[in-house]
Amino acid sequence: MFRIPLLVALALSVAFGVGIVSTVSALKATVGFGAIALGPWVAFPDAQTKNTDPYAKAHRARAGKLLYGGAEGLPFTAATDSTGQKLSSGCSYDIVGVTPPARFWTLYATGANDQPMMVDPALPGASNAWTVLRQPDSSFVIHVSAVAQPDNWLAIRDIGAFKLVLTLLDTPTAGSSGLIDLTMPKIVKTGCPDA
Amino acid sequence: MRSVLFAILVGLVGAALLHIVIILALPQFTGKDAYSRVLGLYEMDSFFPLGNEPGPTGLANEDPFLRGAVCGFSVNGGPVRFLAKGAVPFWSLSVHDADSNEIFSMNDQTAVNGNLDLVMATPIQLVDLRKTPPESLAQSIMVEMPDEEGYAVLRALAPTDSFEEPVRNFLAESSCEPFRR
Repeated sequence: MFRIPLLVALALSVAFGVGIVSTVSALKATVGFGAIALGPWVAFPDAQTKNTDPYAKAHRARAGKLLYGGAEGLPFTAATDSTGQKLSSGCSYDIVGVTPPARFWTLYATGANDQPMMVDPALPGASNAWTVLRQPDSSFVIHVSAVAQPDNWLAIRDIGAFKLVLTLLDTPTAGSSGLIDLTMPKIVKTGCPDA
Repeated sequence: MRSVLFAILVGLVGAALLHIVIILALPQFTGKDAYSRVLGLYEMDSFFPLGNEPGPTGLANEDPFLRGAVCGFSVNGGPVRFLAKGAVPFWSLSVHDADSNEIFSMNDQTAVNGNLDLVMATPIQLVDLRKTPPESLAQSIMVEMPDEEGYAVLRALAPTDSFEEPVRNFLAESSCEPFRR
């Protein structure tokens, strides 16, 4: 007797359940299409433009961030190290290498929710192109760790998964057609003292 | 059994439709998009400096070395002029429309003498400005605004703590005002 209403209810619950869950997870998983990935670093040079895809438009309307314009800069985000394993704040990492050509760059860590990590203001929670100590060939090594490190130290808090954001300011990378050899620094895991 | 499978199949088709509808319609009704947050500051026609902690509408400086200021504006009543000058290592400006699409962006190296002097105007206002160019706009960059409303973000770089004060002054003295002849 209740077969037909039951089937209708089943169809509706599948439609709304799967529809909403798939939408929310798609918006959480990525900023949209059109990413440029250089090793673990991912950037979306077109996310703020009119020509971007509907996913990117929905994502930016939901996140409500002030995105960088093409002449301002390009933020690269890394959620994994160079071997593809997720970044975990229980471990220590080295960021080794050079950045693509840019007038300036900044580096800081965020939590998994993309909000900047609240580090004790007395600790070096961020680094930039002027304050970083360099090798004679102008490359750098930055130690990312929750415990104090010598040389360049990027302090993080032990909160589980985290992301690194490297913002290149006034960079030709966004409009690059592959003529410039783009090399981003590597992220190498150096150890997990707690694990 | 077959009717249950059919119901699930219908449900999946509905889910796909719903997914597409939500993605396409989301920008119209979130109320959390960047333009709504800028309007929520109730500061039209002036640059509102952002704090390091999320403000009343959740806008904040995300990058620890970049200080930002936002300005919601409308070219409905006339062109809007953006002015800023000062000795900061780097500044950049981006102008977005009400749907948060980028219209124009620039930085200190693409500006005249390193100072910000930009006029946003509708196509008709631009024709008028070019026909009889006012003396004060001789150095200005003029850009066409496809829609009437939008917002601008001005960012200045403070690589070390000693730059905080010049950057604060740079943002405090910047202006975003309707242009009158």
